[in-house]
Amino acid sequence: MKAQTYRLIQSAILMGLGAYLLVKIFSGTLYYYINQRFLWLVALGAMVFLVLAFVAWRRLRTMQQNHQHAHHIHEYDHGHGSGASQWNLIFLAVPLLLGFLVPAKPLDSSALELRGLTTNALLGARAQTSGVQLEAPSDQRTVLDWIRAFNFASDPSIYEGETADLIGFVYHDPRLLENQFLVGRFAVSCCVADAFAIGMIVENLDAASWAGNSWVHVVGKVQVGDLDGQPIPLIVAASIKEIAIPPQPYLFP
Amino acid sequence: MTRALNFLGLLGLALLAVLLILSLQSWAATGFTLPTEFYTFVTIFLGIFIEAAPFLLLGTLASGFVEEFIDHEAVQRFMPRNPFMGALAGGMLGFVFPVCECGVVPLTRRLFHKGMAPAAGIAFLLASPVLNPIVITSTYAAYGWGSILFWRIGLSLSIAVITGLVFAVQQQPAELLRAAPRKSIGGAGLRPALARPSNALIQRIQRSLEIAGDEFFEMGRYLIIGSLIAALLQAVLPQSMLLALGSGPLYSVLVMMALAVLLSICSTVDAFVSLAFVGTFTSGSILSFLVFGPMVDIKSTLLYLQVFKRRTVFYMILLPFLMVLLASVFINLNLAI
Repeated sequence: MKAQTYRLIQSAILMGLGAYLLVKIFSGTLYYYINQRFLWLVALGAMVFLVLAFVAWRRLRTMQQNHQHAHHIHEYDHGHGSGASQWNLIFLAVPLLLGFLVPAKPLDSSALELRGLTTNALLGARAQTSGVQLEAPSDQRTVLDWIRAFNFASDPSIYEGETADLIGFVYHDPRLLENQFLVGRFAVSCCVADAFAIGMIVENLDAASWAGNSWVHVVGKVQVGDLDGQPIPLIVAASIKEIAIPPQPYLFP
Repeated sequence: MTRALNFLGLLGLALLAVLLILSLQSWAATGFTLPTEFYTFVTIFLGIFIEAAPFLLLGTLASGFVEEFIDHEAVQRFMPRNPFMGALAGGMLGFVFPVCECGVVPLTRRLFHKGMAPAAGIAFLLASPVLNPIVITSTYAAYGWGSILFWRIGLSLSIAVITGLVFAVQQQPAELLRAAPRKSIGGAGLRPALARPSNALIQRIQRSLEIAGDEFFEMGRYLIIGSLIAALLQAVLPQSMLLALGSGPLYSVLVMMALAVLLSICSTVDAFVSLAFVGTFTSGSILSFLVFGPMVDIKSTLLYLQVFKRRTVFYMILLPFLMVLLASVFINLNLAI
C-alpha cells in the first residue's frame, strides 16, 4: 500500500472513531455500553482521537508537498510492513462499521438467559460493615436497591407491605408460577462485558400476557418471595404499564 | 490538486457511509431483525472497545512521549543494575506510569528499546496493571482497607518480581522480543516521515503524537481481535455452565481464573466486577481473579504476542498461572481471609 493512502485512511479512521464517541455521548446511547462514571474518559478519548487524526492528516500533507518538490523520492512500503499495515486499517475499521451500521441496542432478556440471574451480594465491603442504608423512600428504590436491601437484612420480612414503584424489562423465568414474571435490570460496573442481571418477582393475574423483553413500570406492595431457596423481593402488582426503553437502561452500582 | 482529490474522496466516502447507515437503520426499523445473539455480541464488543480504547490511547501517548523525551542513558541511570532490585523497581514503576493491561504493552516495548533490563521490564509489564494509584483506589473502593486489598498488592508484586527474575538469565531484551519494531509502517514507520532535524518542543510533541497514532493502529488491531473473541464467547456461552463447576478450594480458583481471562475486563474496574462473586466463591478464587486477570486475558495475550516471541509469552503466562493457582489454593486451605 502506498504510504500516502495509508495515512489518508488512518486519518479518516481516527476521525471516525472520535466522531463515533462524540455521537454516542451526545445521543445518550453511550450508556448502552458503559457505566456513566467513564463519561469523562470517553470524552477524553474522543479528543485524543481527533488530535491524532489531525496529526496524521498533517503528515499526509507534508508527504504530498515533499512528493511534489522531489519527484525522485517514492515512498512505498517496504518488506513485511505492507501486509501488516493493511490489516491494521481493516481491523480498526471494524468498530466503526459495527458502531455506525448496527442499530444500538442495550442488553435484553435474551442476554439474561445466558448470563443468569444474580441474587446475592452486590455491595462493597464498606457498605457491608456500615450496614445498608436505604436513603431513598421505598417508592423511589430501584431493583438494585431492593435486592441490596434483601441481601443485607437479617430478616427481609421487615420490608413487607412497603410500596415498590419501579421499572424494568419483563423476563419469563421458567422457575416461576403462571401468574408471575421477573422485572429485570442489568447492573453494569464498568462496561457491558461485566453486566449482571438482577430481578424481582412480579405477581399479577395477567402476568403471562406481558411479552418478554418489553419495558414496564410496576407499582405494588412488597412481599418476601422465593427463588431456588433464596429470599427475593416479590411485588404484588397493583398496576403494570408498558413504557419505552429508558435512556439509561442499566443500573450503575 | 491532490488536496482537492483527497477532500472529494473523503466527502464521497462520508456520503456513502451516511446513506448506508440510513438505509440499514430503516431496514432494521421495518421489522427486519437479526438474531438477538448478534445484537448482544455487538453491544458487548462495542462496550469493551469503548472502555478499553481510551486506556490504550493513553498507553500509546505515554510510549510516544517516552520515545521523544526520555533517553537511553536516563533509563540506565535510574534503574538499579542488580536484577532483583531492578525487578522490584520495575514492579513499582506503575506509580510513575499509571497504565492498565492494554496501555502497558506498548510502553514496555518502548522501555526495552530504551535499554531497560529484561527482569525490570517483565516485572513492570505484569505488576503495573495492579500496582498503580488508579487500580489501588478502585480496589479500596470495592473491598475497603482489608486483606483482599493487601493480598492483591502483595501477590501481584511478588509474582511479577519472581517472573521478572526468571527472565533475568536473559541479558538482552532483544532475545525476548519479536523482530525490532518495523522501520516501515505505512511508509514512515516509527520514526517521522522525513528526517526533521529540528528539536523544537512543538516538533517533538508532534513526533510523539505521530508515534502514538501508529502504535494505536498496531496495538488496536489486537485489542479489537481480543474484544471480538471475548464478546463472541459471552454472547453464546452460558455463564452458568462455568459457574456450576465452581466450588471447592481448587475448582473455584480455576473457574475464577478462566473467567478473568474470558471477560477481559480492564484492571481499573475488575474489583467492582468481582464483587458479584463474593459469597458464592471462595476468597482465594476472588483473589486469583484480581491477581491473574490483570496479567493475562484474551486481549492482553494477543497484545503480548505482537511484541514478544512466542516462547516468552508462553512463560509470561505459565509462570503467573502456576504461582497464582498455588497461592490462591493455599489461601483457601490455610487462611481465612
